[in-house]
Amino acid sequence: MGDWAGYLTLILMGAWVTVKLTLMGSALALVVAFIAGLGRISRHAWVRWLATAYIEFFRGTSIFVQLFWIYFVLPMTGAELTPMQAGVMALGLNVGAYGAEVVRGAILAVPRDQHEACVAVNLTRFQRMRHVILPQALPLMLPTFGNNAIELLKATSVVSLISLSDMTFQAQVVRSQTGSTLMPFVTILLLYFAMSSALSFGMRRLERRVTRGLDGVR
Amino acid sequence: MDQPIIRIQNLRKSFGTLTVIDGLNFDVMKGEKLALIGPSGSGKTTILRILMTLEDISGGRIEVCGEPLYHMQRNGAEVPADEAHLHRMRRHIGMVFQHFNLFPHKSVLQNITLAPMLTKGEARAAADRRARDLLDMVGLADKADYMPSQLSGGQKQRVAIARALALQPQIMLFDEVTSALDPELVEEVLEVMKRLAAETDMTMLLVTHEMGFARDFADRVLFFDKGRIVEQGPPAQLFTAPQEDRTKSFLRKIIAAGQRV
Repeated sequence: MGDWAGYLTLILMGAWVTVKLTLMGSALALVVAFIAGLGRISRHAWVRWLATAYIEFFRGTSIFVQLFWIYFVLPMTGAELTPMQAGVMALGLNVGAYGAEVVRGAILAVPRDQHEACVAVNLTRFQRMRHVILPQALPLMLPTFGNNAIELLKATSVVSLISLSDMTFQAQVVRSQTGSTLMPFVTILLLYFAMSSALSFGMRRLERRVTRGLDGVR
Repeated sequence: MDQPIIRIQNLRKSFGTLTVIDGLNFDVMKGEKLALIGPSGSGKTTILRILMTLEDISGGRIEVCGEPLYHMQRNGAEVPADEAHLHRMRRHIGMVFQHFNLFPHKSVLQNITLAPMLTKGEARAAADRRARDLLDMVGLADKADYMPSQLSGGQKQRVAIARALALQPQIMLFDEVTSALDPELVEEVLEVMKRLAAETDMTMLLVTHEMGFARDFADRVLFFDKGRIVEQGPPAQLFTAPQEDRTKSFLRKIIAAGQRV
C-alpha cells in the first residue's frame, strides 16, 4: 500500500503541470481572443481578413494536429520550443479562436444606442470601446469564457503526446507500472472534476462582480 | 444674432433608394430656439442625427460655427471629412435622445463626468463639482450616486440633459425627448428645458410632437413633410394662421388627437 503514496505524488506532479498549462493557456487564449475578436470588427478590411483567417483555421483543424505542427514542424523553421511552450501555444491559439467569436458577439450585442451616446459626447473610438462598450460587453462574455476555460482544461491531456508529463500522462505511467487502471484513473477523474469546479466557481464570482450595478439592465 | 451658426445648403440624404431629405436649405442663428415639427417620417429626426454626425450625408453641405461639418480642406481642395475633423466639430454640438441612452454601468454622476474628463482632460474634482451643479439645476442633486436603472424615465432624461450640458456645447439637439416618457413625467423634463431656454444663449433645435411646448419654447417653427420645409415662421403665426394646406391638415389632426396648440 506504501507504493500508492509514491504513485499519488507522481499524479499530483502531473496535476501541477495540468494546472500550469490551463492557467497559461487560458491567459494566452484571453489575449488572443480580444485581439482577434476586435480584429473581426475592425474598420480595416485586411485586419478583418487576417482575424477571420486565424479563427477559421484554428477552429477548423484539430488541436492534436496543431500541437504536432507547433512542436515538431515549427522547429524546422528555427523556432525551437519546449514542450510546455508548445502546449501553451497550441491550447491558447486553439481556444483563443473560439473566444474571439465570443468577444465579437458580445461587443455587437451592446445596443447601437450606446455607440450613438458616445458619439454625442464626443468620445474617440478607443474611448468608446474602453469606457462604454467593453465594460458592458464583458458580462456577456464571461459565461462562455467559463465554458471555454473548462474545455481548455480538458484539452490539456493532448500534451501527453509530445512527452509533457501532465496528469493524464502520469496516470498512464502509473497504470503501466502497477497494472491497475482503476486507481490512477479514479484519481485523475476526481482531480479534473475538482479543477473544473474551481474554474466554474471562480467564473461565477467574477460574473457577480462585473455585473454589479447592472441588475435590471439585462 | 447676425451670423448663422448652422447653415444647411441643398442637403440630401437617402437610405438606399429611399430619399428622406431632398434639397433642404435653412439657416439657424446663434441663440435661436428652433422647433422642428411634422408627421413621422418627414425627416426631422434625420436632420438632428446628421448634425450630430450619426448619419452620413448623401449630398449638399452643412456649416457649423462657420466651418464645414462634412468637408475639410486638404492641399487646397475640399474633401470629405475624416474622423479627426468630425471629432473636432462635435465639440460644438450636444444631443439628447428619445431613449436617454445613459451608460447603464456608470452612476448618474459618472455619466455626466465621463466625457468632460476624457475629452477635455478635466480633473475629477472640477468635473464632479460641475456635474453636481448641473444635477442641482435639473432637480436631481440627491441622485448623484444612483445607477440609471434606479431612476424613472423623466429622471433619466434629466440626467441625459445634464450629461449633454456638461460639455458646454454651443448647439443642443433635442430629439423627441419626451416621447418615451409616461405622460405624468413629461412636464418635469419640459420644465428643465424651458428654464434652459430662458437662462442660456445656447442654440437649440428641438424635434417634438408636443405642439404646446413647441409654441412656448421656440422662436421659429419649421413644419416638415417628405424631407422638405413646407412652412416656417414664428409659432404664433404658424399655429394660429398657417398658410399651407398641408400644415393646416396636420394641425387639425393634432388638435383632433386632443393636443393644445
